[in-house]
Amino acid sequence: MPALFRLLFFGLIFLTIVYFALSWYFRSERRRRMERDWEEAGRPGNREAYVEAGMEQYEQSLRRKLVWLVYVVPLTAIVVIIYVTNYT
Amino acid sequence: MVYVKWGFWAIFWTILVAFLHYTLPHTDIVRINDTYERRIEPGDNALFWANADTGDNRDSSGRDVFFIQTFRSDDTAVVYRNEDTGWSWPPYFKFNASNLQARASDSISDGKGADAEWVAIRHYGWRNEFLSIYPNAVGVWEVDGPDARIIPWLNIVILVSLGVVFWAVRARWKRFWHRREEWAQDEWNDGTN
Repeated sequence: MPALFRLLFFGLIFLTIVYFALSWYFRSERRRRMERDWEEAGRPGNREAYVEAGMEQYEQSLRRKLVWLVYVVPLTAIVVIIYVTNYT
Repeated sequence: MVYVKWGFWAIFWTILVAFLHYTLPHTDIVRINDTYERRIEPGDNALFWANADTGDNRDSSGRDVFFIQTFRSDDTAVVYRNEDTGWSWPPYFKFNASNLQARASDSISDGKGADAEWVAIRHYGWRNEFLSIYPNAVGVWEVDGPDARIIPWLNIVILVSLGVVFWAVRARWKRFWHRREEWAQDEWNDGTN
């Protein structure tokens, strides 16, 4: 049993680091693109407001929620491997 | 200096390839000759023995380990161990060593040559006589003959995904440093404007 808790504990720590790193990376990519969009659209109005509006949209998008796959994929993989190794 | 760089990358790639070769599953087509268990006291080679913690008392240093003794179609001997990996590394999550041993015993080949029964054994790990280490069997199933062909789909998927992740990180890493250089040389700090 301690081995299972060790796996869960260190696994969750590792996946959480990956989750936050990817969230941060995708958010900064998105911000960069919004800033470029603003320039290409002919600089309409306040730059900050334009970018912030775009970021709010991003926070609610499906794309943002896909980062949760960082947790979902490894856990699913573990369940599938347990089944394939022991029951087929 | 350039040799240090080469040496570093040569060592890095050797370790990576050896690690993947040890950890990823391989499948052999063999005929089983005997199955048995014997007592093992892992010492300096403990790294190459499973360290599963599947409910046993871990205070005793030695334990009985299942073995499967086989021959390939060219009559070279291959001996597998059959141990649980449990929740630890490598992540096969194998808990059914006893069941696997039962199936392996059931598939013991009655004869040689044309009478032989052939099985595929999926395993990971290496056989090394000098270190007394054995590959660990993770699956046994019967096949038609010694020429049965098994396509390693899992290895293909794992290696391709590793390659994709590696490539994505590398491209971003390069772009990051490229941008840094561009920022360092723009008109604001160039001084020639």
